[in-house]
Amino acid sequence: MPVDLDNSSAASGETSVSGSQPPQKQTPSKSVAIAKKKRNLPGMPDPEAEVIALSPKTLLATNRFVCEICNKGFQRDQNLQLHRRGHNLPWKLRQRSSTEVKKRVYVCPEPTCVHHDPSRALGDLTGIKKHFCRKHGEKKWKCDKCSKKYAVQSDWKAHSKICGTREYKCDCGTLFSRRDSFITHRAFCDALAEESAKAQTQSPNPNPNSNPESDPKVQVDSPPAPAPAPAPPPVAPDLGPGQSQAPPGLAQSTGMVSSPVLAIQSPELRDNPPQIIEEAPAPEPILATVTAGFNGSCSSSTSSGSNGRSTSSVFASLFASSTASGSLQAPQTPAFTDLIHALAHPNRPTDLAPSSSAEPISLCLSTNHGSSIFGTAGQERRQYAPPPQPAISATALLQKAAQMGAAATNASLLCGLGIVSSSSSSAQQDNMQWGHMQPENASLAAGLGLGLPCDGCSGLNEFMMGTPSMFGPKHATLDFLELGMSSGGNPGGGLSALITSIGGGLDVAAAAACFGGGEFSGKDMGRS
Amino acid sequence: MKTELIRGNSNTSISLQNPSSTLFSNPQSSLSGALNGCLGSLDGACIEKLLLHCASAFEHNDGTLAQQVMWVLNNVASLVGGPNQRLTSWFLRALISRASKVCPTAMNFDGGSTIWRRNMPVTELAVYVDLIPWHRFGFCASNSAILKAIEGYSKVHILDFSITHCMQWPTLIDALAKRAEGPPSLRITVPSCRPPVPPFLNVSSEEVGLRLSNFAKFRDLPFEFNVIDHGPSSFTSSDHQIMSKESSHDLYFESLLNHLTPSMLDLRDDEALVINCQNWLRYLSDEQRGSNVQDSSLRDAFLCTVKGFNPCIVVVVDEDSDLSAPSLSSRITACFNYLWIPFDALETFLLKDSSQRFEYESDIGHKIENIISFEGVQRIERLESGIKLSQRMRNAGFSSVSFCEDTVGEVRSLLEQHASGWGMKIEEDHMLVLTWKGHNSVFSTAWVPNASMQD
Repeated sequence: MPVDLDNSSAASGETSVSGSQPPQKQTPSKSVAIAKKKRNLPGMPDPEAEVIALSPKTLLATNRFVCEICNKGFQRDQNLQLHRRGHNLPWKLRQRSSTEVKKRVYVCPEPTCVHHDPSRALGDLTGIKKHFCRKHGEKKWKCDKCSKKYAVQSDWKAHSKICGTREYKCDCGTLFSRRDSFITHRAFCDALAEESAKAQTQSPNPNPNSNPESDPKVQVDSPPAPAPAPAPPPVAPDLGPGQSQAPPGLAQSTGMVSSPVLAIQSPELRDNPPQIIEEAPAPEPILATVTAGFNGSCSSSTSSGSNGRSTSSVFASLFASSTASGSLQAPQTPAFTDLIHALAHPNRPTDLAPSSSAEPISLCLSTNHGSSIFGTAGQERRQYAPPPQPAISATALLQKAAQMGAAATNASLLCGLGIVSSSSSSAQQDNMQWGHMQPENASLAAGLGLGLPCDGCSGLNEFMMGTPSMFGPKHATLDFLELGMSSGGNPGGGLSALITSIGGGLDVAAAAACFGGGEFSGKDMGRS
Repeated sequence: MKTELIRGNSNTSISLQNPSSTLFSNPQSSLSGALNGCLGSLDGACIEKLLLHCASAFEHNDGTLAQQVMWVLNNVASLVGGPNQRLTSWFLRALISRASKVCPTAMNFDGGSTIWRRNMPVTELAVYVDLIPWHRFGFCASNSAILKAIEGYSKVHILDFSITHCMQWPTLIDALAKRAEGPPSLRITVPSCRPPVPPFLNVSSEEVGLRLSNFAKFRDLPFEFNVIDHGPSSFTSSDHQIMSKESSHDLYFESLLNHLTPSMLDLRDDEALVINCQNWLRYLSDEQRGSNVQDSSLRDAFLCTVKGFNPCIVVVVDEDSDLSAPSLSSRITACFNYLWIPFDALETFLLKDSSQRFEYESDIGHKIENIISFEGVQRIERLESGIKLSQRMRNAGFSSVSFCEDTVGEVRSLLEQHASGWGMKIEEDHMLVLTWKGHNSVFSTAWVPNASMQD
């Protein structure tokens, strides 16, 4: 970590170092484009506030506030001040320094945390302490009645107070811990509708309800998606919270088991034809049963799955072309080459700086918060599969991408696509920043899984002006997910290798797995 | 483009103030710098920077840079990762949607259509609105203010303009039924259509009204539910191509406005009239409708109209952020620095693979897409912050009403039942603001028309 935030000075427990910037900048500058008012922008702490970054040790230290006179430690600043009064200090010394009046915000020491960013800083020390414990700490406190665990004792206490206390039960059997959720549910619950229907004796009630007409209702919602209908678990009205795989926080509030039901659907998403759910043109007063309701919602989600696939094809084209066209810009031969080489050794991030004077390299090192590029951020990705072994070297890949690129410097999005698939090379491409790397040929295209016909090049202008001829229809079936997979025996090799080498380290390896492994999967995108 | 990004990567040679000189002469620095800085890092500032690069690229027609940045973003993004990654995913999608509009494609990326139209049953919606206190906060504060305002009235008429399909009313019905002075009779009137935004229901407004009626009957509250049928506009609830129709959105509101007359609404003198605007005003265009100074925006026209009804109280709840700046970069920044809140909140108690979480987030993604990838009349999300809204209300001739102690107490106890990051504060103009870890998320206000001569 470039900025060491540990501070063990006795005088004051706080270091006014913004953990996210070079030391000369103390206050975070927010994007000022919309900052027209003096008061705090919604969503951002006071731009004038002092950002304080404490190390975990300091943060959790119980006695951060130390009296300078007798070195006694206190948990809170107020207590310290109270104590200092007892020393009978001369008037001047009793005064708090003017800087202390300044508003302070605190960032989380955990670099991967969203609150590590000054714009997400929290306004009070207790808050950041609690956050740190809750989020990054060990959950030492466990509720007796349910299985919830807490890292902060006050959270645990607060929960224990309400756990299992007031419980509201709807006629349908669902339990609620909050009255308002209970009331809202009750108002719309089928059980109530049924009850009122029964209250109306013979008359054909205007509230068709208890008929278990699951199928027609499903069809109203999404006619061509029969698959999900039988799939959902028997969502009987008497669902208890325990049955739900919903996250614990919701288990008590509802029996609506959306999670497992929809989770079941996800493997099927990919296979469904693209659908856009339409509401019934003449919406019928459908009092869907709980089951039917699930079906409806499931169907909705499944049906739109494939749209995600086409979404992913857009991604594919974009990203393919970006590597290609990215190489078409003005050359920066030495810097980039060095960069690639340097990055091929991911365990030595510090080596990046010296070898060339190139800005790009210094860029990456000086990057915000410095810490996590190659290091700890990777921890987050541990869950992902390890990357497949690249069959081609990164430099070769980039070279190939460049080679496949069009001659024109202003390549268009489509151009990128067309370019990659054609093996045309031009003299101009040879003096790329890839420099002395050896070109390889068509296997890149294969490796990238892009069997796209070239629709001809158009300039950037055309791209931006939206000439319809830009994008041919043939790309429609390109699946982003297959990008790394379709080349023979080189699963994810092409692009993941590229990413692996460029980024180095655990993080990008994981990113590569994401890239090729379906983390960023079109099917998810398209779900609705 | 004047956006300054001093924070974070301050050594970068990329300055958005002079993109062309640096980017085209040294584009590799942008690519590799961005890559090395952000790949694998989940840093919010970094992601924001990338997003702004992309915005700048769009604004300068730099397709190459746009692609580069999106490629990088793709490596950060993950729909099932941490909050930043998920948020980035949705932003990325919106950016691609925008790009694909610039360059129409025969691919099925129909960015304009409602791909993610998920119709849920009412009971599921009831859970949805209570997942986080985002909506319930507004419901609670508003209902409490309404209760107070209608004291002494035996008849109440609520004009409900919202996107949550009357989820607000069961608790009010319950409270009215228990009213010490005896329950009033209640009428609720809703427009026949609503803005084409999530959450979507799989039943009609009429059906919802039916259920509410049932409930009110169950609680022995005289109740009536009406739907304003404002004509056969091109905007219907079953029309899922709404977004692709240029002017339908404004037409819808124009037609609605035309139907907001005392006679059409059947306003009765002996009723307490309540106007409830919940996450709704932002869909009314805030742009001047004509060239004359007198041609106010739809939003102002609406406020003027309702003021003319002399309502007992007008409650306005919306999200506390300015997301309708003309500049794309501003919107991206504002959006990113605001919508992280629900993502972060959901992260605290829902697992990464929770479908509820995903659905909630995808609905936010819908909003992001509209804000970022659309322009003109199609960009229907025109959110303004509480402060601005308050100013607008004052300009329209309303005065704010403070929330009483009981209300504040109710809201506080509501928040106690949710994750501990949720808080509340009272700001200027008696505005109640829901906060997440101290950051403003939703504001709630109450207004009465100034006692003045009607024009």
